[in-house]
Amino acid sequence: MKNIIKKDIQYPFLTRPIEIYERENGHKIVLAHKEGGLVNISSWVKTGSINENDENNGISHFLEHLMFKGTHKHKAGYFDRTLEGKGAIVNAATWKDYTFYYVTLPQGPDGAYFKEAIELHADMMLDPVIPEEEIGPAFKLGDDNVAQKRERHVVIEEIRMRQDQPWTKIYNSTNHNMYTNHPYKRDVIGFPETIASIPRETILNYYRTHYTPNNITTILVGDFDHEAVLKKVCEKFDFKGRENYQNPQHTLDTPVQSAKLIELKGKINTGFVITGWLGPVAKDIKENIGLEIIDVILGDGQSSRLYQNLIAKQNDPVFNIVGTDFYNFKDGGNFFIEANFKADKKDEALKQINEEMDKILAGDITEDELKKAKKKLKAEFAHNAEKVSEIADNIGFYMTVCEDLSLVEKYLEELENYTLDDVNNTAKKYLQHNNSVTTVLLPE
Amino acid sequence: MKKIILENTIPVVLKCNKNTPRYAVCFYLKIEEEEKKAGLYSVLNKLFLQGTKKRDDEQLVKELDENAIDCYSEMKYDFIRLKLQCLNEDIEKGLEILSDIIKNSTLEKFDKEVLKLKGEISAELDEPKAKALDSFYRNIYKDHPYGNSDSKIAEEIDNLTKQDVEEAYKKLLNESSKVISVVGDFEEEKIIGLLKKYFGDIPNNPDAVCKLSVPELKENQVIKITKDDASQAQIIQGWHVPSLYDKDYPAIMVMNTLLGSSGLSSRLFLELRDKKGLAYVVRSGYETKEKSALFNVYIATEPKNIKTSLDGFKVELDKIKNIPVTKEELESAKNNLIGKRQFFTETNLQQSSLMAFYEDKGLGADFEEKLTNMIKEVTIEDIQRVANLCFNGPYVLTILAPEKYLKEI
Repeated sequence: MKNIIKKDIQYPFLTRPIEIYERENGHKIVLAHKEGGLVNISSWVKTGSINENDENNGISHFLEHLMFKGTHKHKAGYFDRTLEGKGAIVNAATWKDYTFYYVTLPQGPDGAYFKEAIELHADMMLDPVIPEEEIGPAFKLGDDNVAQKRERHVVIEEIRMRQDQPWTKIYNSTNHNMYTNHPYKRDVIGFPETIASIPRETILNYYRTHYTPNNITTILVGDFDHEAVLKKVCEKFDFKGRENYQNPQHTLDTPVQSAKLIELKGKINTGFVITGWLGPVAKDIKENIGLEIIDVILGDGQSSRLYQNLIAKQNDPVFNIVGTDFYNFKDGGNFFIEANFKADKKDEALKQINEEMDKILAGDITEDELKKAKKKLKAEFAHNAEKVSEIADNIGFYMTVCEDLSLVEKYLEELENYTLDDVNNTAKKYLQHNNSVTTVLLPE
Repeated sequence: MKKIILENTIPVVLKCNKNTPRYAVCFYLKIEEEEKKAGLYSVLNKLFLQGTKKRDDEQLVKELDENAIDCYSEMKYDFIRLKLQCLNEDIEKGLEILSDIIKNSTLEKFDKEVLKLKGEISAELDEPKAKALDSFYRNIYKDHPYGNSDSKIAEEIDNLTKQDVEEAYKKLLNESSKVISVVGDFEEEKIIGLLKKYFGDIPNNPDAVCKLSVPELKENQVIKITKDDASQAQIIQGWHVPSLYDKDYPAIMVMNTLLGSSGLSSRLFLELRDKKGLAYVVRSGYETKEKSALFNVYIATEPKNIKTSLDGFKVELDKIKNIPVTKEELESAKNNLIGKRQFFTETNLQQSSLMAFYEDKGLGADFEEKLTNMIKEVTIEDIQRVANLCFNGPYVLTILAPEKYLKEI
């Protein structure tokens, strides 16, 4: 293959190195070997809510739905019907930094299903029609006389579904209040008003701008002939000279300088709380590892500090559920404490969480806790190497969010060398009380 | 795949998957008798990870996490199963802890677990979908342990005593039928040696059978749940249908795939979501248990669409009852189902879990292969016949929505 750059990456727990190919036009192809009869093909596009503004918030996700509505070669429904008729799991997802589309299916006789999946996936990625009749006519929210309820209504139902979820409600509030200007402040799914009215041409323009060779990584995982598959992907992913697009750079906001508390009410019986902090950029592996270690120690599972100290060791615990989460994002991740508590114990709940954070900030993490976290994070790689779809997701994350798959090679080494001082410094840098945003949801 | 019987009569099914970094182990304990009080087995299930004679609750979870061993217990009304996953290097440690949990759980944290369970249930039921599903199961399996849903457990759990749970544990440990399955990259002799060492002294009763009664549903029921701030109505309609021992099991699976569980190309998805824009989530489901099975259809939709959605369900159910499916559609559904079963048996844990499940049910650990062949044999006539068998009986319909929309139903 001419004008293609190849790089090998050693990926933990896989039996062969992963191969990355970069084509002259910037399109990247990643091939990973995994024994078994299933294969996965996915394409990751470097766009999500990071490229949105107040006027078009939700467009990345709406486009994701509309990409399934047919191409010039195949009408809407053909892709799903054909591949699902061969045992495929077909879907897509949109998040802050990326949108990705995937097919997981059995290879079929002589790899026939896989070949067809590559063809149909490439056709969908490169030639979507996004027909007006599938989008449905623009309408005013609340108008009960819309004759053609199509995909606009489906996405609005997805928004409604999320409005009914207490955790989503407080996540969105905390997330929004953690930022001032960065596009990460917006909810990826957007607002019903935007989805009801956004014109087809705006969506098409968005597609043409962002679905460019340099912004797409196509990942193939399974047991197959690499040379033949690479040839086929190059042939089918013919961008026909499509111009590249460089995503604008954003600077992450400074975190809030004094702790912020938002109170929401709902028809519920328990209290929900999420406290969030801004974290390091995704490609800063070392600082991310620090927060991942704290995530394990503080809030992962029944041996975690929050569970032990706030539930297991309390005679009459204030909390029903308590844990932590850490999300990596290109321009800066988020660390969260998430909990459900007895509705009349809000002040006590917030006090107990703060006391646990104070202990972490005072540097009282032990060597044993660090050792446990390292082992669990190592085992996580083993877990992620068990399914073709999970391997693909991890590769997609490193290629799209970190923009560097070789970081995966450094990860285990960095993890092994991590010291208690490193953990304590990371905690002090990112998890100060003054820099936190908290939302509580309480019964009306 | 290989099956051996330990000296204590516990069957062990083994599958060696080379180049896999983690072992998966499942330990099944068959539940023979109906729980006398709602929540009995749920609490016992939770207590399995709350301390043994050797390790208190804190030590136990600490040791598991320090070794990155995932170990948890699940209660599925007909059985309790403990699942273990660990890096290959830690298998002996994992098996030792698992055997300690099974043999030596102290149940000391009974009061605490009851308190925690109540709290977890109240948090769970603040989700409208969970609240609707809870009511659905509680009513479709009314007066049967399968209907001991979260809300019923929360209401009745104060009647449960530690002694009840101790007796149930003792009975389960000494008198129930058990199955072990292991999938991983192992040397056969070595793994069998470890299984004998850690599980060889557990009593087994290979003749134990599930004595649960067969649940009945005598008439249609419509359950309305008011939730005035709900953005979406939650609608679930379900029927009692034949379960996995029935000759119609594969045909109902294929019908389910075709009607509402194949992904983006099922009938309900195409008609109610793609063409009518009624929902983001619309699907059908087929859930089998030892003594019964449920077929259900589900949609979450804007409350003003409740009637349109119910009409949409009726049209699709009538269609599948009255009009033969096409040959192409049938083949697609069968291929989807067979292909997807590979997806659901991809990891060591998925394989181990399924093998033990089939073995426990008396179908044989290799039932998956037989099932694939049975699915291939399903005909157009089978689909129409099982549709009439499933959907002509009484149903439970649960609708959660703001009050003003419920009045119109």
